[in-house]
Amino acid sequence: MMYYVLLPFLAVLLVVAQSKLAEILFSGLVTLELSLIVVIYAGFRLDLWKGAALSFVVGLAMDCLSGSVLGLFTLLYVFIFLFAWVVSSHIDSERLYLIAGFSLICSLAESLVLVLLYQWVFAFDMVDKILTVLVPQTLLVSVLSACFFYAMRTVERLLTYE
Amino acid sequence: MILAALSLFSYGLKYDAGQSLLQRLAMGAAAPVQKLVTLCVESVENAWTRYVRLVGLEEENRKLRGAIGELEAQLTLYRQGYLEAQRLQALLSMEEREPYRFLAARVIGREQAALSKTLWIDKGQAHGLKPGMPVMALPGLIGRLTNVSWHSARVQLLIDEGSSVDVLVERTRQQGMLRGAGSRGCVVRYISKIQDVREGDVILTSGLSNIFPKGLLVGKVVHTDRADAGMFLNIRVAPFADFTSLEEVLVLAGEKKDPFRERKAAR
Repeated sequence: MMYYVLLPFLAVLLVVAQSKLAEILFSGLVTLELSLIVVIYAGFRLDLWKGAALSFVVGLAMDCLSGSVLGLFTLLYVFIFLFAWVVSSHIDSERLYLIAGFSLICSLAESLVLVLLYQWVFAFDMVDKILTVLVPQTLLVSVLSACFFYAMRTVERLLTYE
Repeated sequence: MILAALSLFSYGLKYDAGQSLLQRLAMGAAAPVQKLVTLCVESVENAWTRYVRLVGLEEENRKLRGAIGELEAQLTLYRQGYLEAQRLQALLSMEEREPYRFLAARVIGREQAALSKTLWIDKGQAHGLKPGMPVMALPGLIGRLTNVSWHSARVQLLIDEGSSVDVLVERTRQQGMLRGAGSRGCVVRYISKIQDVREGDVILTSGLSNIFPKGLLVGKVVHTDRADAGMFLNIRVAPFADFTSLEEVLVLAGEKKDPFRERKAAR
């Protein structure tokens, strides 16, 4: 129960922290999407309900705080979580290069959906940002997800030993 | 969950103008978090900036210390030069005052053993020095050359146990023999007990031997003792020169040439 109570606050904290970090590290040029990594991690490590709730809440926080269309990131994150959850039974999460590859695919898919959606619905031309923003962002997510999984694995082992 | 997300998305697409209740709630919740995170980040940034500044200051401090060291070394060099110039000026004034030809030399070593009180100077036979030449430093005689090599010479100081100089008491013109007494200075011998010699009397060279010219300052009487059983006074003399701090000396190389006297002699 505590998990569900704390989830919204932690989600808000995560979104605020990632935007601040991106601002500090990349001067706001690239988005540091730690929330996507958390959602992918949830797909591999959490059960369906907990993970789906986390994806929903984190996505909602992203929608509310990033100024995008309400429900866009919520929908994307829920789908990505489900995709990761399904794939987790076929991929060995210990192999970090597989995690990096999977994160790369998820991030690319997300970026593609965003570009297409903004293109079709709002007629925003985001094609010029693919190379300068979206590709670096995707690669960053890929690398960071491997690091995140490795760090979390270490923490899990430490907690298990204790 | 998917349905809820889809509903939200469709609602967002249709009605969203950034004013939905959910968004307001989220922003309300995020504001304190944002403030807190910003505060933390600013603290870290400030600490980092301060640290970088401190590193810069440390570097600057190190450079300044280096510069101070170099400047101090330069200052010492200049001070040495200034003091040397002063000493040389004093020696020069003596050279101008006295009717003798002097050769300035630098002290390059000193031997202050129990029985030997000597100096090494950086001039020798190549510069015209010969054994026996008197050596002076302000304000008077300090000894004579004993060993002379090509480019250096040894000076036997007045306080050397083997040193002896014919002297006289300036006030009474009584003559005696000045002998070195090591760390006690010098003693004057062969002045009869009936003679009047007092503490403070100035001792000069008498010029009796051909080694030292007459009238060079030697020292001052610091103690006289008549209680001894012998015939002569026991007179202790403190040389005028401070032998421990000699750095430059003048070797008396002969009398100055007087053109008038030379012309007269030629005639």
